[in-house]
Amino acid sequence: MKAIQVEHLRRVFKTTIGVLRRTVKQVVAVDDISFDVEPGELFGLLGPNGAGKTTTVKMLTTLLIPTGGTARVLGEDVVHHAERLRARIGFIFGGERGLYWRLSGYDNLRYFSSLYHVEPEVAKKRIPYLLELVGLSDRAKEKVDGYSRGMKQRLHIARTLLHDPEMLFLDEPTMGLDPVGARELRHVIRDLQAEKKTILLTTHYMFEADALCQRLAVINKGRIIALDTPAGLKRHVKDLAVVDVEVFGIPDENLARLRALPSVDTVSVEDVDQRQIVRVQTTEGSASVPAIVAALGGLRLGKVNVREPSLEDAYVRLVGGEA
Amino acid sequence: MKLVALRQNLRVVASTFEVTLKMTAVDSFVLFGILIQPLILAVLAIWILTPKDPTQAIFVVIGSGMTGLWSTLLFVGGNSITRERWTGTLESLVAQPTPLAFIVFGKNLASVLQSLLSMIASYALAALLFHMDLRIAQPLPFAISLLFTVFAFVCFGLIIAPLFLLNPAVQQWQNAMEFPVYILAGFLFPIALLPGWTTPVSYLLAPYWAARALHATSSGSATPGDLALCWGMMGLFGVLYLVFSRSLLRVIVRKARADATLGLE
Repeated sequence: MKAIQVEHLRRVFKTTIGVLRRTVKQVVAVDDISFDVEPGELFGLLGPNGAGKTTTVKMLTTLLIPTGGTARVLGEDVVHHAERLRARIGFIFGGERGLYWRLSGYDNLRYFSSLYHVEPEVAKKRIPYLLELVGLSDRAKEKVDGYSRGMKQRLHIARTLLHDPEMLFLDEPTMGLDPVGARELRHVIRDLQAEKKTILLTTHYMFEADALCQRLAVINKGRIIALDTPAGLKRHVKDLAVVDVEVFGIPDENLARLRALPSVDTVSVEDVDQRQIVRVQTTEGSASVPAIVAALGGLRLGKVNVREPSLEDAYVRLVGGEA
Repeated sequence: MKLVALRQNLRVVASTFEVTLKMTAVDSFVLFGILIQPLILAVLAIWILTPKDPTQAIFVVIGSGMTGLWSTLLFVGGNSITRERWTGTLESLVAQPTPLAFIVFGKNLASVLQSLLSMIASYALAALLFHMDLRIAQPLPFAISLLFTVFAFVCFGLIIAPLFLLNPAVQQWQNAMEFPVYILAGFLFPIALLPGWTTPVSYLLAPYWAARALHATSSGSATPGDLALCWGMMGLFGVLYLVFSRSLLRVIVRKARADATLGLE
């Protein structure tokens, strides 16, 4: 039996605009997606903001009813057998909300353990173990109000493990964490993977997906545009090289000139402090550098680097430079 | 199997009760509703009513205490689900195996028991500041009436909370719902003083039967027949609210899952 079976899943949101003349606007958040996840697998959903990752997770965790299609998690239909499924899964959504800030971390866990019907004598042992696992033992008696974002996120992880769920949904768990906090959280996820938990992880951090996931589905505008192992996805760009050019401000006309070059496949721009890194995927490797520099003529340039493509480059190619 | 589930769900009621008390003990809005507002009403009522008839003192104390009970239920109990939505915890509550009704019951139980402090505060004010004679004439029937009151109020809260979640327009009338119930339920003066056409409306309100039982047992005018009627009506309303709330909560959670309104984002 598959841990997750998704077939033609679809979700449309309706919003109304206007007061007197109300018009209904439909937004297709998830558009006919299908995929399976094996038991014990760490499966990644990768995509830019607004791609439909969180909507998919909310449907799989019974919080949202799909507009169309079917989804089964651990053999249970997410719409019709939601109550049965809830005791067997755990989830966290990125961000600080979802905890009781006026209670201590320990009291939060104690309360959620009762909601998940964990026997008090089991909870008494499990809560200190989980606090230790997420590194919050020393601060457990303090109110959550005073916790940093990373501490709240780690408390979310502890909360979701209270009832020892068979399947975990982690929606952007490292979002907004500092590098050390994010690295610690990835360690926790690896430990859970070692315990053979089935995990569905959504992220838009490529290195995170590359390091953790066994298979990845790239989702964009509500549709799955690629589904493969990280190595398989990288093969999408094996014919390309990447030229990274450091610039200090880049007008649209220069980007248009770059995109018009015959050897250029995809162009994306990443802001880094006061500068930008222009990533040019090209079929001609270092031979294309003079043409790229010429297209950026008149701009103040920094370092220029030619390298092998990474998973991130494969992702950028798949989503058409929107990352 | 069902017994195990019941035991687990009752444990949820107890832990929700404990958590709610911990969180609201320092909430200034709750403290205002429980202590300050009933005391203001008690002082006003004592000035207005007791010079004419000093025996009205206990009526005033019970009545002003009940205003605290109703205000707390309306605002704290009524917002018990919507507040979870604002704080982002509603999704966590819905996505766990305990039915939401047990959680709301635990929250309302904490709010209603906490609001009994209103009665104690009003009692202390009248006794210590105004040196009034505040003997409860029929203590045992009074205590039983209080238990029925708590049950009826907690169950009433099970209806209000999901209605506020279902229709925010209803919640806009929350303030307007406070004083009419004070009046229609006869908290601070008998409903006999109101126009006759309002009496059937009072009979439909569980708080009316609670006020009638508590006022009668405190003043010593309660007859066995009257008590049986008041307790029966509170029990009946409580059970009706319980049964109705079960379906109401199920419908509302399903609607929230369909409309994507469990979270705020």
